[in-house]
Amino acid sequence: MNRLMALIKREFWENKGALRTTPLVIGGLHLAAVVMALVTFNHFDNEFQSLKELLRFVAQQDVDLRSKIAYGVSLEMSVMFTMVLAFVVFFYLLGSLYDDRKDRSILFWKSLPASDTLTIASKLFTAMFLAPLIFWVVYVLTHILFMAILSVVVIALGENPWTLFISLGNPFEAWSLTLASYFAQSIWALPLYGWLMLVSAFAPRIPLLFAILPPVILGVLELWMDFLKTFTINDNLFGLFGHWFANSPVILSIDINTDDTGVESIGAGLGVPLTGEYDHAVTVSNMLDRLFSTDMLIGLAIAAVFFAGTLWLRRRATES
Amino acid sequence: MNYVIEAQGLTKRYKSTIAVDNIDLKIPAGRIVGLIGPNGAGKTSALKAILGLANYEGKLSVLGKDPSKDRAALREDVCFIADVAVLPRWIRVWQLIDLTEDIHPKFSREKCLQYLSSTKVTLNHKVKQLSKGMVAQLHLAIVMSIDVKLLVLDEPTLGLDILFRKQFYTNLLNDYFDEERTILITTHQVEEIEHILSDLIFIQDGRIALDATMDDIHQAFSELMVSPDKAAAARELNPINERELFGRHIFLFKNANREQLKELGELRTPGVADLFVATMTGGQS
Repeated sequence: MNRLMALIKREFWENKGALRTTPLVIGGLHLAAVVMALVTFNHFDNEFQSLKELLRFVAQQDVDLRSKIAYGVSLEMSVMFTMVLAFVVFFYLLGSLYDDRKDRSILFWKSLPASDTLTIASKLFTAMFLAPLIFWVVYVLTHILFMAILSVVVIALGENPWTLFISLGNPFEAWSLTLASYFAQSIWALPLYGWLMLVSAFAPRIPLLFAILPPVILGVLELWMDFLKTFTINDNLFGLFGHWFANSPVILSIDINTDDTGVESIGAGLGVPLTGEYDHAVTVSNMLDRLFSTDMLIGLAIAAVFFAGTLWLRRRATES
Repeated sequence: MNYVIEAQGLTKRYKSTIAVDNIDLKIPAGRIVGLIGPNGAGKTSALKAILGLANYEGKLSVLGKDPSKDRAALREDVCFIADVAVLPRWIRVWQLIDLTEDIHPKFSREKCLQYLSSTKVTLNHKVKQLSKGMVAQLHLAIVMSIDVKLLVLDEPTLGLDILFRKQFYTNLLNDYFDEERTILITTHQVEEIEHILSDLIFIQDGRIALDATMDDIHQAFSELMVSPDKAAAARELNPINERELFGRHIFLFKNANREQLKELGELRTPGVADLFVATMTGGQS
C-alpha cells in the first residue's frame, strides 16, 4: 500500500503541470471571465442600463426558475473542466509507459522493488481517480469563488445574495453529481485507457500515431468494404466509437426547459446538445444504466485484454 | 556453499544472434567481481538476465531466487546502476529520496544525506540541472544507502572525468563494501578497477574466456620484458602473448617457471588490461 501510494505520488510529481496547473488555469480563466464581464457590463449592448437594474429584474423572477438557473450554472461550470480533463488523461496515459522508456529512466524505476503490475496500477489509478479528483476540487473551488465574487457585487449593489441565488441552487448536488460522473466515466472509458496504455508500452516512438492510426485504418477499411458490398454506410467502427463517446456518462450539456419564460437552454452553447437518443449523465440512475450495461461488460473484457498486453510488454521493456 | 549468483548453461538469444552462449558461473558472497569484455561480448545481456530485466534460457539463480519470476522480490536484495544517467530528469533530489525511502525497505535516508553532504548536490536540485558527474554521485549515494546483498554496476562511470571515477570507486570500496556484500562491475576502464577487484571474469563472444580470482591470476600469469637478443629464447617458452614496446619485447606467460623467466629479463605482474588484450586476441598483438 505504501509502495502504491509512493508510485502515485511519483505520477503526481512527474505530471504536476497537467494534473495541477491545468485545472488551476481553467479555474482562473473562469473567474477572470466573470470579473471581466462584471467590470465591462455597461459596455455590452443589452437591455439593462446597469448591473443594478439586471439584479432587480432577476430578483423579480420566479423562484423556481432562479433555482433551475442556479443549478444549471453550477453544473455548467464543470463542463470546461470535464473536457480538458479528458484531454489531460488521454495524453497522460499515452506517455505513461513511454516517457521513461524514451529517457531510459525505466532502468532506474525497475531497479526499485516495485512490480510492473503495481507500476501500471499506479498509473491507471492516477488516470481514473487522482486526475478527476484534482480537477473536481478545483472546479468546486472555482464555483465557490465565483459565488463569492458575485455575492460581493450583489451586496455592493444593495441586494441580498442569499435570497437572490445562494440559497436556491444547492451546489452540493451539482458537485457530487459531477464527481460521480467523473468516476463513472473513468470506468466507462476503461477500454480506451487500456488501449492507450498498451500503445504507450509498445510504441517505439510517437505514441499518438500508434494510438490513432490502427483504429482509423481499420475504420476506413471497414467503411470501404461495407460500401463496396452494399453501397450504403451502415454500422461500423466509427459508428461504434461515436456511440461509445456519445454514451459517456459525463455532463456535457444541461437542458433546462424554460419555454414559458423565454429563457432558452443555457447548456446548448458549451456542450453537445441533447438529443432524444442520448441523455447525459445528469442523474445517477443514468450513470448506473451505463455502468451496468452489456456494452460496459464487453468494454471491460476488451480492457482486460489490453491491460494484460500492457503488462506483458512492460515486463519486456528492458529486453534490448 | 551458497553462491550469490549461480548460472548453468545461461544463454541469451536475440532474433539471429546469440549474445550469451551457454555460460556457467558461480559467484560467492563477499567478492568484487569485474566482468570484462569487448563491446558486444554479451556483458550487458548477462547482467540483464541476472537482474531479471530480460528473458534467458538455462538455469540461473540469484540469491536463491529465479530472476525471471521473482524480479520484484529480488529487488529488495539486489540493486543496480545500469549505465550512467538513467535517473529521471524531471525529479528533484528530495523527491527521489522520498520515493526510494517509501519503495525500498532497506534504504537509509540518513546514510544517503550523509553521502550527499560531501558532494555539491542539494536536495532542491532537479536531476536535469546536475552535471553528469553529479548525477552519478547522486545515484551512487542512493544505491550505497540501500542495504542489499548484491550490487550490479554496468558501466557506472562511463563519460565521467578521472576525478569522479576515482572518487566513485574509492567511496564504493571504503564506505560500502564488506564481506556480506557482493559487487559485480562491468567497465571498459579496466585499469581503474583492477586494484579493487577480487575476481575477474573475461567474456568474449558470449562465452567466458577467463574466470579466476585475482590471487590466482597473479599466481598464474607473469610478464617478462626482454631485450631483442633474448626474444627468441623467450619465445621458446611458449608465451601466450608477445608485444613490442620501445624496442623491448614483452611476453605474457601462463603457469611458467618464474625462476627460468627471471634469467631472461625483468619479471613483472601483468596488468589486467594487458591480460585482457592477450586473452581476447589470443596470440600476437
